[in-house]
Amino acid sequence: MPTILKDRTDEIERLAVRYPSRRSIMLPVLWMVQQQEGWISQQAMAEVADVVGTTVAEVYEVVSFYTMFQQRPVGRHHIALCDTLACAICGAMEVAEYLKTKHGIEKKKVTPDGRFSLEFVECIGACSIAPAMLVGETLHGNLTPDGIDAILAQCP
Amino acid sequence: MTTATAQWERVLLPNIEQDQTEWLDAYVAGGGYEMARKALGMAPADIIGVVKDSGLRGRGGAGFPTGMKWGFLPQGLFPRYLAVNADESEPGTCKDRPLMEQRPHSLIEGVICSCLAIEAQQAFIYIRGEYYKAARVMQQAVEEAYAKGFLGKNIFGQQGKNVDLVVHRGAGAYICGEETALLTSLEGYRGYPKLKPPFPAVSGLYGKPTIINNVETIVDVPHILRRGADWFKSWTHERTTGMRLYSVSGHVKKPGVYELPPTVTLKDLIYDICGGIRNDHELKFVIPGGSSVPWLKPHQIDIPMSHEGVAAAGSMLGSSAVMVMDHTVCPVWAVANLSHFYHHESCGQCTPCREGSAWMHKILRRIEQGGGRMEDLDTLRDIAGEGKPGSGMISGKSICALGDAAAWPVGSALGQFHDEFVEHIEKGCCPYKNKRYWMAGGRFVNETFEKMPVL
Ligand SMILES: Cc1cc2nc3c(=O)[nH]c(=O)nc-3n(C[C@H](O)[C@H](O)[C@H](O)COP(=O)(O)O)c2cc1C
Ligand code: SF4
Ligand code: FES
Repeated sequence: MPTILKDRTDEIERLAVRYPSRRSIMLPVLWMVQQQEGWISQQAMAEVADVVGTTVAEVYEVVSFYTMFQQRPVGRHHIALCDTLACAICGAMEVAEYLKTKHGIEKKKVTPDGRFSLEFVECIGACSIAPAMLVGETLHGNLTPDGIDAILAQCP
Repeated sequence: MTTATAQWERVLLPNIEQDQTEWLDAYVAGGGYEMARKALGMAPADIIGVVKDSGLRGRGGAGFPTGMKWGFLPQGLFPRYLAVNADESEPGTCKDRPLMEQRPHSLIEGVICSCLAIEAQQAFIYIRGEYYKAARVMQQAVEEAYAKGFLGKNIFGQQGKNVDLVVHRGAGAYICGEETALLTSLEGYRGYPKLKPPFPAVSGLYGKPTIINNVETIVDVPHILRRGADWFKSWTHERTTGMRLYSVSGHVKKPGVYELPPTVTLKDLIYDICGGIRNDHELKFVIPGGSSVPWLKPHQIDIPMSHEGVAAAGSMLGSSAVMVMDHTVCPVWAVANLSHFYHHESCGQCTPCREGSAWMHKILRRIEQGGGRMEDLDTLRDIAGEGKPGSGMISGKSICALGDAAAWPVGSALGQFHDEFVEHIEKGCCPYKNKRYWMAGGRFVNETFEKMPVL
């Protein structure tokens, strides 16, 4: 019995008719899970396998390929900081250092209050406003110390 | 007239500074969807003819002529699909994001015109997972267009003309920008590229003929239909036609996305349009077409930003993303940074790419940190080659072009900055001592500079 996806059946079926092959709903359904739960658990993968019509192993194969799919819980506000060249030469490492020293947010860790987690990612397509990071679903560029304080202050 | 004072009419992103979404009513009020209506009355071959005449070349990187690509579809084989490549992940490239966030309907109109041209009834826009806002905006715009009857069955009230459009999100994999990987990802699998041939135009999505084009390429199509091929060709350098979007990042005073003709020189782009190098520093090197292309030194930048102009200087226009480094950037550190990207993003199917990218990254990081040996340079040269197609152990020996993309920057950095590699090895450390301070532009200096560990 699905528990995680139990209220999403109609939505999933509406999605499925839009693709010529049911297998194509794999990524959209995984996104549904992640948006609802924050991450994708073993239980969720089993439910996705049922819904898509494949095996858990195949779902895991997909989840483990795409870096945005989280396989363990993240903070309420997950920060994805770009450290590729354009951001790196405009201060990405300093942003990381600032997040750590001023706000106690560290790479690959969830803060003890569960509020933030941080991950370094490759280019997020915001190179002309480097350094840039995603906080949850929102993109922030031209980061400065004061700007970072203000952004984080708005995250409950 | 210098480039900065010249005025060009911007058609792709006329109001980029305002950063606002133009929704359906505003788009229609400005003459939007007229070309989609007009295309409904045109024979598919005629639409393809106009696109061919315009000389439009793909904006995704390879610069392949769009009309010719459309002509490769096998006769009489249906269904056909259109896949719009909105995966935009080549470091430095950030032009498709504002296009989708600000003018979503221009992309939808482009999709309608292109679908009519290639006789496809179903299109997909594959948007990289990090572009949450672009995906939201596109989804809402698509719903608006469905509600008006511009998408769906019998579009614009024309019997038998159907165009369905699905916005599909990726989930953080650079390789899904490669066209065959994009299709396997869209089918619900790991984004593994496939060996070509067969080309997607013959056997693509679900094994059916499929055309894949970049967002900007598709957005160009209605503009070409509206104003004609000759208008598009009024900006031409050799075989590169039409205005295009240049993404400029790094150490210029005014980084941004600029709509310019291919005759603009790289020098004018950096010094006029982007206001020159920040703090009036010296220019160290430029990456003219996204992170995978060979680097150019300051004496090489007086070149038109066309495919031919950049190729003549020994590099590639690629996705027309210009990254500018000033003299505070250590080239060894920079190429180590890029090698990490390719090592991380290699899908792992082919040994030369998977192992080669990891190996290069390890060696480069060691040299940068001061543990390099002279023989490392020979090893790097063997793996990466000279930054040219086919040279070295990876380029031309893997399924897709990511292998080449991983090798070229390394080969090119070795060629352009050989002495600096040697200096790192001889001194046993990176000579750019205070690079962190300068790279941050001083922004974080009071807060964290003292605590920064020396790399
Ligand atoms: C590793 C790799 C990544 C790519 N990433 C993108 C991308 O993010 N966006 C894009 O439009 N094309 C990308 N391309 C190019 C596509 O394979 C394809 O050539 C392009 O989408 C075709 O569209 P066009 O003819 O309109 O340029 C990439 C190619 C490779 C080899
Ligand atoms: S070249 Fe690299 S990215 Fe491309 S298919 Fe091979 S391993 Fe994958
Ligand atoms: S390099 Fe950071 S967003 Fe592109």
